[in-house]
Amino acid sequence: MKFMIEDLPVLFPYPRIYPEQYAYMCDLKRTLDAGGHCVLEMPSGTGKTVSLLSLIVAYQQHYPEHRKLIYCSRTMSEIEKALAELKALMKYRADQLGQEEDFRGLGLTSRKNLCLHPSVKREKSGAVVDARCRSLTAGFVKEKKERGEDVDLCIYHDNLDLLEPHNLIPPGVWTLDGMLRYGERQKQCPYFTARRMMPFCNVIIYSYHYLLDPKIAERVSKELSKDCIVVFDEAHNIDNVCIESLSIDLTEDSLRKAARGATNLEKRITEMKETDAEKLQNEYSKLVEGLREADEARDEGAFMSNPALPDDLLKEAVPGNIRRAEHFTAFLKRFIEYLKTRMKVLHVISETPPSFLQHLKELTFIEKKPLRFCAERLTSLVRTLELTNIEDYQPLQEVATFATLVATYDTGFLLILEPYESDTATVPNPILHFTCLDAAIAIKPVFDRFSSVIITSGTISPLEMYPKMLGFTTVVQESYAMTLARRSFLPMIVTRGSDQGQISSGFQTRSDPANIRNYGALLIEFSKLTPDGIVVFFPSYLYMESVISMWQSMGVLDQVWKSKLILVETPDSQETSLALETYRTACSNGRGAILLCVARGKVSEGIDFDHHYGRTVLCIGVPFQYTESRILKARLEFLRETYRIRENDFLSFDAMRHCAQCLGRVLRGKDDYGIMVMADKRFAKKRTQLPKWISSALMESDANMSVDQAVASAKRFLKVMSKPFPIRLQEGISTWSYEDLMEHQSKLQSEKQREVRNGEANGGDYHLHGDEIMREAEAVEDEMEDADMEAAMMEIDA
Amino acid sequence: MSRLAQHKTSPITKREVRIGDAQDEVCPVCKSSRYLTPSLRFLINPECYHKMCESCVDRIFSHGPAQCPIPGCRKTLRKARFRAQRFEDLQVEREVDIRRRVAAVFNRREEEFETLHDYNNYLNEVEDITFNLINQIDIEETNRRFEEYEKMHEQEILENASLEEREKVAFRDAKKAERDLAKERRDLARKEEEEEKKEAEENKRDVLNRLAAGQDAEKVTKQGQQVTLKKRMDRQAAAERQRLLHLSDARNGSSSLIRGLKAKVKAEPEAPIDPFGGLKVETKYFSVQDDYVWAGVQETKADVLMGAGGYDVREFTTRALCDAFSGLGVFIGEDSAERERIGVDEKAVGTITAERGVKRMEAAS
Repeated sequence: MKFMIEDLPVLFPYPRIYPEQYAYMCDLKRTLDAGGHCVLEMPSGTGKTVSLLSLIVAYQQHYPEHRKLIYCSRTMSEIEKALAELKALMKYRADQLGQEEDFRGLGLTSRKNLCLHPSVKREKSGAVVDARCRSLTAGFVKEKKERGEDVDLCIYHDNLDLLEPHNLIPPGVWTLDGMLRYGERQKQCPYFTARRMMPFCNVIIYSYHYLLDPKIAERVSKELSKDCIVVFDEAHNIDNVCIESLSIDLTEDSLRKAARGATNLEKRITEMKETDAEKLQNEYSKLVEGLREADEARDEGAFMSNPALPDDLLKEAVPGNIRRAEHFTAFLKRFIEYLKTRMKVLHVISETPPSFLQHLKELTFIEKKPLRFCAERLTSLVRTLELTNIEDYQPLQEVATFATLVATYDTGFLLILEPYESDTATVPNPILHFTCLDAAIAIKPVFDRFSSVIITSGTISPLEMYPKMLGFTTVVQESYAMTLARRSFLPMIVTRGSDQGQISSGFQTRSDPANIRNYGALLIEFSKLTPDGIVVFFPSYLYMESVISMWQSMGVLDQVWKSKLILVETPDSQETSLALETYRTACSNGRGAILLCVARGKVSEGIDFDHHYGRTVLCIGVPFQYTESRILKARLEFLRETYRIRENDFLSFDAMRHCAQCLGRVLRGKDDYGIMVMADKRFAKKRTQLPKWISSALMESDANMSVDQAVASAKRFLKVMSKPFPIRLQEGISTWSYEDLMEHQSKLQSEKQREVRNGEANGGDYHLHGDEIMREAEAVEDEMEDADMEAAMMEIDA
Repeated sequence: MSRLAQHKTSPITKREVRIGDAQDEVCPVCKSSRYLTPSLRFLINPECYHKMCESCVDRIFSHGPAQCPIPGCRKTLRKARFRAQRFEDLQVEREVDIRRRVAAVFNRREEEFETLHDYNNYLNEVEDITFNLINQIDIEETNRRFEEYEKMHEQEILENASLEEREKVAFRDAKKAERDLAKERRDLARKEEEEEKKEAEENKRDVLNRLAAGQDAEKVTKQGQQVTLKKRMDRQAAAERQRLLHLSDARNGSSSLIRGLKAKVKAEPEAPIDPFGGLKVETKYFSVQDDYVWAGVQETKADVLMGAGGYDVREFTTRALCDAFSGLGVFIGEDSAERERIGVDEKAVGTITAERGVKRMEAAS
């Protein structure tokens, strides 16, 4: 379908479009025109990715700036989905325009997924693949070869050097699979092809970490220009990703390894002094001058880079007392020894970076400034020493990164030392958490550098929380409802059991047998009435285990067993994937199954339960975080002090976004249907925090039900759903053909003109607003629902 | 700072420290092990850094200085200098002791240097000395340098030491103040929350009362909601104001703390040579005026008869000015030299430029 949004011709690869997709595109265009950031929430399963891609590609091709698109997603499967979507879109465009556009779209993932080297690719762990790849491809290895030494090289990597550097791969969209195949045919490395071609791509699709994790971002995403359009998809968890990318945990074991690494470095330095003292001297004189090699940043093989540092600091010369290699190793050793000493303390400590530094200085005479240059100095040293077995130095690098971060940021970070793993443990196993409290620190460079950042997800409510936490301002922030021709999902809040006793996973009642029996009754009833699959979410593994064992003793599981197979998620990912496979088989062959899982586990995030794989989702209890965690407490305090977000507000926000994620798992499209049950009395008050598309479908009468009421309502709902529903009934309401769209546009146009005539037009804002479109679509929907639907249904019945 | 930090004492207290692991917990002198004597404590002496247990120290050194009991080490040790081991690695322990000594003398600060390069070189030099002391390279030479420096900079060392002490105290005070402030804010937030809860309750009660009194239900609930909303907005606005105030306070306070290199004193820019000793020869420019007040013209200007014929005084003044100033841009000296060079008939043309004009005319025709 081809249509215009204002002056922009958009090619949409499907013959029909959803109203919310159109609204989404209009808002996107508005954002891009205004050149700012936006937060958009669009219900899951309504084709967010395709509308995003088709608008942005149209935008790229139509305007002369050809702004590059950087599309970040969270998991491999999502990246692949997006690439396939993009490929289909470009094919459609080529068909419609009658010519192939000069266009390149590439995906980037880790070396492990893209390696072709016969022996390296067989390695299991990603870290080993990375290390081995580096030892075959690093710049100095090549130099050695040229000098005539006998070293192994990767033929796939070297073949790249024979090609034109800006044309390593022909134009087009390459899926990861396609890249691998092309690489195999041409004998060239897909990973480095993708990395090197990034400046010449129109669309780049990769994981969050390539932009957010400062250790990687510096290497990978440095050369992207300012006018790039950055999209974070599935971004409801983005603050946690930011925080994780800057947090470091040190254990006694990792410190021991780091110390060993430092000793090894020392040995290498003495060796080198005997054989090739000149090289060290060169490095030294370069550091004296404060020069950095221009090609240093281009060195893909280098294994580490600086965490987020202010730019002016990066230009400064390395302080004099760690300039010499042997001084630096002694310095590192001293620092590690100090950390070891700190680890021996047997009570919990939490302190800010400044007080840590003060104490460090008193004890070991390590100043703040050299500490700040630690990571950089280590990188330089590793390069000079031409180390290949880099994985041995990983712990040392971690310590260096820690040193740099602790000396750079005074606020927004906290050091927490926990000597025991749990409160009851007696054998100390100390962990030093260096936690980032401020999500804005990691993402700040992204917002500073790129003019348009789009944050989008299926569940990102409340929208205003994200700009607040991440420290940016939006030009557009919008949440779209789902236009539906019939009510195809039924959200309910169950607050009482059949015995009218309130149900809750709250601390006081969580192990109350009556409470658990009521939950059991809920499960039994729904397992009887739901066809095929049910997914049940618990707030935590611990709670799930205790509930399951109590259900077992109450005989609940025996009754459930009659109608459904029971499968349980575990923290082990392989076991879980096995359970999932079994679950799918059972759903497909009609046996039906129940999957018991955890709201923050793997299942709740990446796995879709479309159609018969999930007809009911039960959320047992509000999935609050574990509030006794010291890290969480520190973060809450920080949020209150800096952003004025109250503890309870944040906890409830966090719980509800996970809950919404869980609920969204079952509805993956407009032809899908499902029941969403939130079983906790506390949900009744948190209704407003659900995404708009769920809360607008949640009726007042469904917001405070007992188990038997919920069962009756669910039965009624399923009866309606089981009737056949021809697609043509959706037309004009929840899907628009080209004519519908034109009609809508002309209607909007005439309205505008009328407004202009009446002199009410609001200034220069000529843009289409998504919410207007949605409002109208909803109005049509209401109209239809009453009159036409009845008629249509009668027709079918007859 | 978190709540946890408040009951934090010095990070390393005697009672709670574990030193070393179980396997090396045997005193090298008396061979008693931690297994048999759980209260075993090891001490070291910064003379030779040999480790021994507390009872050995008591036994051997109670009667005055004695030789170290470790075979091969003949250092004379005193009891007073024995202390607990701080780092697991004795090398580091020793290094830190040496560093303490060095840091007490080489305590110049970044502010004292004008360029970063100098500062870095200084740091490098200090590190060299320290490194030599630690690894016992050129001990005599290094010690000599060390003492020399100490003697030369006696005064500065003292000054910097006191400065450092003051800074330390200031830091401690700032930390304490920060902690108090955090506590205050926490209390405030708690109080606020309670108040809000109480208010909500009150509001609810009020609505109920009014409903009981038989007022219009819809109106009452709406009013109640409005009241809550308004109160919340007020509170938020107040909080925001407070926060902004704090922010500006903090900004003002922090500016004094920023340190860096010593402010460079820029040399006065050297004045250009002035051969006339201040006498200035400046060119004066005049701009052409519309009207010149001059007795010869005034009458003509006022005369209607003159004006009626189309005569304008300005034409006259312009011509007069042209007459007066034309030729000022011509330098006779240059021109005559030029003329001689080309050998033109000087009567035919006035200036060399005119000559060129004539030539061009000829060429054109």
